[in-house]
Amino acid sequence: MSSRQPSSTLLIISLTTALLLTIVPFPGGWDPLRPYWVALVVIYWNLEAGRFRHLGQGFLLGLLLDVMTGTLLGQHALGLVILVFLLERFRARIRFFPPWQQAAAILVLLLNDRVIHLWIIALEGNAWPSWLWWLAPLLAVFLWPWLFLLLDGLRRRQRVHSS
Amino acid sequence: MNPSGSYSGAIAADFSSRIARLMFYIVLCLVLMTLDFRGQWVERIRDTSTLLVEPFWLLVEAPATLSRSLKERWQDRSSLLAERDALQVDLNRSRARLLVLDELERENDRLRELLEASQRIDRGFQAVELRQLDLNPYSHRLLVDRGADQGLRVGQPVMDAHGLVGQVDEVFVHSASVILLSDPDHALPVEVERSRVRTIAYGSGRSGELTLNDLPMNADIQPGDVLLSSGLGGRFQAGLPVADVLSVDRSSGEAFASATARVRARMRGARHLLVVTQGTAAILAEQDSSIDDQAASASSEPVGESASTSETVPASEGDGP
Repeated sequence: MSSRQPSSTLLIISLTTALLLTIVPFPGGWDPLRPYWVALVVIYWNLEAGRFRHLGQGFLLGLLLDVMTGTLLGQHALGLVILVFLLERFRARIRFFPPWQQAAAILVLLLNDRVIHLWIIALEGNAWPSWLWWLAPLLAVFLWPWLFLLLDGLRRRQRVHSS
Repeated sequence: MNPSGSYSGAIAADFSSRIARLMFYIVLCLVLMTLDFRGQWVERIRDTSTLLVEPFWLLVEAPATLSRSLKERWQDRSSLLAERDALQVDLNRSRARLLVLDELERENDRLRELLEASQRIDRGFQAVELRQLDLNPYSHRLLVDRGADQGLRVGQPVMDAHGLVGQVDEVFVHSASVILLSDPDHALPVEVERSRVRTIAYGSGRSGELTLNDLPMNADIQPGDVLLSSGLGGRFQAGLPVADVLSVDRSSGEAFASATARVRARMRGARHLLVVTQGTAAILAEQDSSIDDQAASASSEPVGESASTSETVPASEGDGP
């Protein structure tokens, strides 16, 4: 963490992009399939750069998401707090997993997050989401390697430029 | 979860403190969600924080707005002319119809004066545009681009060209959220156009569908009937088209018959909606004061409006179910 500044800029940019992608309109009825971008970005920064290691950060980010997407205040916060906690708990292992195993771990994390959301949605008395909603973590896992490579590349490049 | 002996004491202590923090945040989330679900307390926070995220919404909408304006600019002349002609024809037809309606209205007013009945209240409309985003796919809400600054209030009915859509649910400074008729939390007093049977239509939770649960077994209702708002409750104007009855279920053994209906408004395609704002200043002022009184508990019905609905309740009939 010698070059803290450029990494932070990249972190803010990637997080803002993830937030925008969360609310950008999706064509047709494919909306439930939207990957959980914010979680993916948080996972990346936690694993690769040791950011987002505090539960409070996950909580605040979740609240922001709740206000943006109009969900119950605390719904995304709860999901992200638990996600950050699990990530931190198994961080040492997940970091050194081979890629496909890492992807599987992320799939489990995202599915767990879906279960939490489903629980809250059911408590609220809303209709259950369609089956597409369960495919979103799978899609997210397919996108994970590309996101990983993209952010890694950007980070390396920035480091070269800044040094 | 139990830290085994291979962990050193420090790590175990760290771990248990993490667990404690996790519990703290989970409880915090649960409390927040409960407060938000019950309404009122967290509303203020939500209102102010909406200002914070509004730039995000605008940013996401920008490409759509841009492409729309570009498309409008590049639309060629001939198609514009054709569209103008079609609109002109439409306008003429509507105008002719309005003339007849004006005459009817005058006649109605005269009759009303003769009967010394209550004065009708003029309704005003405010056109609103849907925000390009679909906030929460599993809750039945829309976001529109007008808010408290443009005179929107909680509880105002929202409609499109085909029928009732819902009502204003939350008002922010420059935007408002509209709860749709199909939301499970929404109930609307309706009547069947053909037989004047009154009942209440609940949101079913499925997109664009209503359920009528408490119909008497012998209620005169059949598939294809049109449901109109009955005006009882004083929030919605009477006689607005609401839904078409799809099916009626009179299974023996049940205490009540039930029916499902499809909402007439086309929420998927529409971009522009109308919010019905009460026209007369007196009503608005009254509503304002009642809103100030119960700053946040806006879910209760405004009571001062019975004058506007008394006309719709014939004395001979009893109230609905």
